[in-house]
Amino acid sequence: MRIRFLALLLAGLVLSGPAGAQVRSVEVRTPRPFGYFLGDLVQAEIDLVVEPGFRLQAASLPKPGALTYWLDLRDLDATASVHGDAQRLRLGLTYQTFYAALDARALEIPGFSVTFVSESDHGATTVKAEVPAWSFNVSPLREVQPPRRDDPRDYMRPDGQVGPGDPRPLLLGAAGSASLALLALAGLARDRTWWPFRARRGRPFGRAARRIRVLERRPDPVLHYRDALLALHHALDTAGERRLLADDLGDFLTTHPVYADEGPDLARFFEASRRTFFGPGPEAGLGVLGPADLAALARRLARAERTA
Amino acid sequence: MMNQIRSGDAMLTDWREAAGRFEATVGAAVLGQARAIRLLTIALFARGHVLLEGDVGVGKTTLLRAVARAVGGAYARVEGTVDMMPTDLVYHTYLAEDGRPRVEPGPVLRRSEDLSIFFFNEINRARPQVHALLLRLMAERTLTAFNREYRFPNLQVFADRNRVEREETFELPAAARDRFLMEIGLEAPRDAEVRRALIFDPRFHDTDALIAGLDGGVLDHAALPGIAAAIQHGIQASPAIEAYVIGLWEALVRPGAAGIRLPGLDMEALVQGGASPRGVAFLVRAARVRAWLEGRDWMVPEDVRAVFPEVMAHRVFLEPVYELRRAAIMPDLCRAVFETVAAP
Repeated sequence: MRIRFLALLLAGLVLSGPAGAQVRSVEVRTPRPFGYFLGDLVQAEIDLVVEPGFRLQAASLPKPGALTYWLDLRDLDATASVHGDAQRLRLGLTYQTFYAALDARALEIPGFSVTFVSESDHGATTVKAEVPAWSFNVSPLREVQPPRRDDPRDYMRPDGQVGPGDPRPLLLGAAGSASLALLALAGLARDRTWWPFRARRGRPFGRAARRIRVLERRPDPVLHYRDALLALHHALDTAGERRLLADDLGDFLTTHPVYADEGPDLARFFEASRRTFFGPGPEAGLGVLGPADLAALARRLARAERTA
Repeated sequence: MMNQIRSGDAMLTDWREAAGRFEATVGAAVLGQARAIRLLTIALFARGHVLLEGDVGVGKTTLLRAVARAVGGAYARVEGTVDMMPTDLVYHTYLAEDGRPRVEPGPVLRRSEDLSIFFFNEINRARPQVHALLLRLMAERTLTAFNREYRFPNLQVFADRNRVEREETFELPAAARDRFLMEIGLEAPRDAEVRRALIFDPRFHDTDALIAGLDGGVLDHAALPGIAAAIQHGIQASPAIEAYVIGLWEALVRPGAAGIRLPGLDMEALVQGGASPRGVAFLVRAARVRAWLEGRDWMVPEDVRAVFPEVMAHRVFLEPVYELRRAAIMPDLCRAVFETVAAP
C-alpha cells in the first residue's frame, strides 16, 4: 500500500527530561485527513527512533480490537531496524472507523505510549515514547435532510387515488336482508297472532243460522230437526269456548251479556235439545221449540252476534 | 208426555220425596255441605260405598253419623289404628266374670244381617290386612266367621280419611279404592253466615245431642236395595248419552289424543291407567240416581257431570311424577274433559 505522507510531526520537541534524551524522534505519517466514510480503513505509519541499547517492550504496544465505540484497531505490525547509530521502530497501524456521520466532521484517533527497555549491569532503564493523537475527517454516506420545500404540505405524500365504488351488490344485500327480516317478522306475527294474523272471532251463530235455513228448506224439516239443534249447539260451544250444557246457560249469559235477551228462548232450546237427544225423542223436543222457532232464534242470535 | 206414567212411578215419586226429607234432615245437622249431602244421597240410592276425605274438624264424622241416624237401621263404627287386626273387626275377645276367655261377635258381626251402615273412621291408619278384609266386605257383602258365612244385604261402608297426616298411615290399595263408589272431598264451608253459626251456635258444639235431635229413620233402610234397583231400571239412557259417557271415558284415559292440553303437563305421559269399566258403570249408576233425584226418568249430561269428579277421579292412576300433584291436576283434568267432549 502506498501511503502519501501528508503530515509530518516531530514530537521530539515536546519531550523533555531523560526520556527526551533517549527518544530521539516520534514521527506519525498518515494518509489524507479527509474523505473517509463509514467502514473505511485508515492506515498510519509511525517511526520511533531511540538510543541504541533500547529495545521494544512488546506488551506496551496497543492491542488490536475495539478502541472506542466507533473505532477498531484492525492490525498492527512492528519492525525494528538500525537507523545510523540509533534504533528505529516502525509501527504499521490499520484502523477501521464505524462512525455513522450525519455531517462532515473531524474525529480524533487517540494517542498512546510505547515503552522501551535498556538492560545493563546496574539495572533496567525504561523510557516511554508518546505517540500523539491525530485527527481525520469523516463524511456522511448520503444526504440526510430531504430537499427543502417552500410549502410544508409538500413534504406529505399525496393521497392514493380511490376509484368510484359499485354500490349495487351492497344495495342488493340490503334489500335481501330487509325482505328476509320482513319474512321473519311475518312468521313471528303469525306465531304470536299479531295484527294481520289475529284470528277474527268467527261468527258461529251466523254460520248456524245459515245452516238451519238450509235445513229448513229441505222437504221434511222434522227429519232434520236433530241436525238443526246440533248446529246451534256447536255455535254455542264455539261462542262459549267450551261445551255448554243446559245448566251452564246462566253462566254463559252473564259472560256474554249480548245474548241475555234470548235467555228464555235459549232455555227452551236446551230443554228441547235434552228431550230430543236424551229424553223421549224429537217429538218431545218439537213440542217445546218448533223448527220455525228454532230458525228464528238462530237468526236473532246471529243478529245479536253482529252487534257484539 | 215427558214422564210416562208407568207402574212403579208412584213409588219412585214417593221415594224421591223421602230422599228430599233425608237431605233436609242431614242438612239441618251439617251446615254448608249441600253438595256433599247430595252426593251421599246419590251414593245411598246407588248402593255404593263412600270414602270421605278432608281436613281435621270439618265435620266428616258428624256428617256420617247424621246420615246413619237418618237412614236408620243398625250401624257399627270402628276407629282405624295401626295395631288393628282383621280379627278385631270380626271377633270380640275378653275375659268373662267367671275368669274364662270368651269370644263373641265383633263390631261387624254384632248386628249381623241388620247392619246397614258400617262406619270406618280414619281408614288409612289401619293396616293392609284390615283393608283386605274390608275389600271382601265391600265387594261381596259377606264375611266368614264362626264357621259360617254372614251376609249383609243392606250394608254400606262409609269411611273417612284425614288427608293431612301421612305418618303411620297406610295408603289404600288400588283395588280397595276402586270399590268405593265415591271419594268425596270435604272442605270447611266458605259462607260467612254458616261459619258464624258453626262457631257460635251451641247446638253444633255437642255432636251427640245434635245427632240425637235428628229424626231417625227417615228412609226405610231395608227397602233401599229394592228401590235402588227400581231406579236403575226406571231411568233411561239414550244412545246419545251412552256415546257421551264413552267419549268422556276415552278422553279421561287418553287426554292427549282427545286434544286436551293442560299447562305444564305432558298430556301423553300423564295418565298411566285406571278408570276401570267397573268405575264407569258406577258413574252411570250414580248419574241415574241423580237424574231420578232431579225428577227426570232419563239421563242428561249434567247428571254425569255432577258426579264425575267424585266417582272417577280416584280411579285414575297418574304417572308417578305427577302423582304427588294429583289434588291439583285431577280437578283441572275433569273440567277439561267436560269442556272438550261434545255433549249431544
